[in-house]
Amino acid sequence: MDWYIFVYPVILLAIVLVFVMYAIYFERKVIGWIQLRKGPTETGPKGLFQSAADVFKLLIKEDIIPSKADRPLFKLAPILAYVPAFSVLAVIPFTDAPYLKFSNVAVGLMYYLALSSITVMGVLLGGWASNNKYSLLGGMRAGAQMISYEIPLVLSVVGVVMSAGSLNLTEIVETQIAGAWNVFPQFLGFVVFIIAAIAELNRTPFDLPEAESELVAGYHTEYTGFRFAFFMLAEYTYVFAMASLITILFFGGWDAPFGLTFIPPLVWFILKFCCFVFLLFWLRATFPRLRGDQLMEFAWKGLLPLAIINIFVSALLKEVPFLSQYF
Amino acid sequence: MNIDGELIAFFVFSLLAIGGAVFMINLTRVMHMALALAFALLSLAGIYILLEAPFLAVMHIMIYTGAVSVIMIFGIMLTKHKVDAHELEPPRFGFNLLSLLGTGLLFAIIMWVIYQFPFVTTGVESPAFKVQDLGAELFKQYMIPFEIASILLLAALIGAIVLARREENE
Repeated sequence: MDWYIFVYPVILLAIVLVFVMYAIYFERKVIGWIQLRKGPTETGPKGLFQSAADVFKLLIKEDIIPSKADRPLFKLAPILAYVPAFSVLAVIPFTDAPYLKFSNVAVGLMYYLALSSITVMGVLLGGWASNNKYSLLGGMRAGAQMISYEIPLVLSVVGVVMSAGSLNLTEIVETQIAGAWNVFPQFLGFVVFIIAAIAELNRTPFDLPEAESELVAGYHTEYTGFRFAFFMLAEYTYVFAMASLITILFFGGWDAPFGLTFIPPLVWFILKFCCFVFLLFWLRATFPRLRGDQLMEFAWKGLLPLAIINIFVSALLKEVPFLSQYF
Repeated sequence: MNIDGELIAFFVFSLLAIGGAVFMINLTRVMHMALALAFALLSLAGIYILLEAPFLAVMHIMIYTGAVSVIMIFGIMLTKHKVDAHELEPPRFGFNLLSLLGTGLLFAIIMWVIYQFPFVTTGVESPAFKVQDLGAELFKQYMIPFEIASILLLAALIGAIVLARREENE
């Protein structure tokens, strides 16, 4: 057992925390830019310390637990939401270098999808334990949405798994380096995956659990201070994890396109990763929110059949002589 | 018996699983019970990992912790928040004794079956079993049982939808 097994997760946690702070900063900047505003400008040069100041404010706030709340569950819920969000990062291979991936398990993809479903429990319990009707409704909505969209999410990656013949994320990237990036042959799967992923992340246009005009703030209405910060942290850690997963599954991970191999693999990974993160901010600035009933119909009647069609088509094209090298 | 990491991990996971089960029985609020059950199921997945069955462990987390427990919590969410202590009536005389006898008998039968079962205890080295092998076995050798099980589940699913629909119309 090497010493870095214990040190690297701590470094990764620090990287994730910095990512979360600056993702929030860039989100505000990008949305401001799209909406012809300036975004944060006051704290630090060009407002660079705005998120740090916000986090500091949250950490020194008074810790309030409502008197009618279920105290142990109220305290447990943010932990239950955050721990799986960070533990899914254990299987993400950032490059093929041995020190940049933590655990090369054979079922990495399923591990990610399975652990991320535990977060639903944290959200539901947070909503229930607050003993507030808006929290309860927000928690129910979040739970229903995350469960419903998990099914197309899982089914849409079946095509990728079939083409790679493996559930290991490193092997999935290696088959893409040998063949083509999955986004081209698996385009339908990619579209379903990206929509389901945005819904899993509870982001616009699927941010119904936090619809402030209807639900005050959703499942974390009663939360303040560092517990609220933990829910937010879990949400943005999932953005980090999901952006990494999309890069790995559909954009060839650290693979350099057009033979530009003089740029290091990690840089390619970060570039592709940033494109997805930007896409999320872009969607948030330009899309309205869906209606609740449309949301469920879309998952069950729209995305689920498409994901199943994608599996059929991939299985069929795998047998066609010329095309089989891409599937 | 040599004490290594695997043994320690096994005891930790067993303790967590049994602890979760004990809490599940002793807690009074239904929501806490559901959470204790989810915790026990999650700890079982840890034992599967120790048995070098990562696929089983991951599917276990996905189905039992991620789906079954969440559905249970979902159902319980709309129930009453506080439980009144005097609603729980004290157990009748002899009730404890009877339940002890029953569970003791069940435990004895299970232990007897386990000791009768001819487990291979010699150090036979099983060939490395990969996830690909599992898929190949399932879809080649055990194709028909697999399909029958899936049709059974599909029938149950459609039956549930039909039952729920009928109530909605009335």
